Amino acid sequence: MAKRDIPEINAGSMADIAFLLLIFFLVTTTMDKDQAYLRDIPKKIEVVITEPVKVEERNICAIRANDQNQLMVRKEVMSNPDDISERIVEWFTTNEKVNDVTNNFPLYSRISMDQINAGLSAADADLAATENTPNVSNDMIMYKEKVVQEWAAKKQALALYGKKNLPEIHFQAHIRIEVQKGTDYELFAKIQSEVEEALFTVRDNAAKQIFNESYGVIKRRYSLDEKGEDKAKLDLLKFLYPDRIIEVTPKR
Amino acid sequence: MLLFFFMVATTSKESDPTVKVTSPEGVKTSDMTPYKQRSEIDFMYVGKPINPARARKYEEMGMEYLLFMDNVAQSTPDDLYSINAIRRWKLDKFESKPDNMRKPITDVITCIKADKGAPSGIIFDIRKELQEIDALKVAYAVRDNSNI
Repeated sequence: MAKRDIPEINAGSMADIAFLLLIFFLVTTTMDKDQAYLRDIPKKIEVVITEPVKVEERNICAIRANDQNQLMVRKEVMSNPDDISERIVEWFTTNEKVNDVTNNFPLYSRISMDQINAGLSAADADLAATENTPNVSNDMIMYKEKVVQEWAAKKQALALYGKKNLPEIHFQAHIRIEVQKGTDYELFAKIQSEVEEALFTVRDNAAKQIFNESYGVIKRRYSLDEKGEDKAKLDLLKFLYPDRIIEVTPKR
Repeated sequence: MLLFFFMVATTSKESDPTVKVTSPEGVKTSDMTPYKQRSEIDFMYVGKPINPARARKYEEMGMEYLLFMDNVAQSTPDDLYSINAIRRWKLDKFESKPDNMRKPITDVITCIKADKGAPSGIIFDIRKELQEIDALKVAYAVRDNSNI
């Protein structure tokens, strides 16, 4: 039997096609990634607040900038914006081990496992009682459920923390960014950058102490694989150093 | 080989803004690529117009920095750059997606790419508009200069 000829494919134009595609991708795509700081805008509420909530000065880490791009951190003028992060770290960590009421930094509460368990069962009972009450509003049930979730989160956090007590920063403690309308976006972004750097620093130190690995490593592993115990680890670090940031809308 | 490299390593441009934006620098940023792949993010630009004639025109009107949003449906060129157009733009983008594919509008991120010199007041004006329509996630774009 005669061997059949395999017809040859003309591949001469393949190089041209590939080249054309290459040029197409060169032109239509970019290399640089979009990097940004994620922030939440508070939800709009209709309720008129007659009396503003009182917050102790020690619980506020205010970073102010005016339209001349001059900086003030906790009522102290700063010339170098690179130092903001150190001040925030100081604000977070000064009272972390021992509370000192004489200084001007946020206080920590320390609760033990027994207290958490008691709180959790009390919240559970409260939720059950609310659900059985006739004509109770949905918001109320949702609120009670949230309380239960908070206690459960604390329980998980302390179990992972592995110490006797769980330090918790005052619930009103927050970082406040106050700029004026004329402040350059560059300075505003710099403040955001410093806040993020400070949060990274304190969380990284805690991660190294508790888990013996860096915060960045845990975060990256979590972004690749959302299952596993990394979520609990990140939750604990977030609980110890919450990123409560208020950006005040400028009036002038 | 080169072709495959470019196909894998790059992402497509979302739009070509007609305003000039030089992002400030920052560290410890979060990467927006995952959101882009799921199209859960809208981009908005704040900068001076590239076209000098237009820049002069708007400067006379007292608007040095302008907004640029992509895919604004049925708006006059003047409208395109005003704060008032944000709501319509954002809602149009949201409603143009099929029902089963879109996330609730509270979870759609609005990424603001602003120029270094832009006044922060604009950012807060945008935030206020977004708050009105319950789009509660915002991202401030910067250039990451940490070496990781």
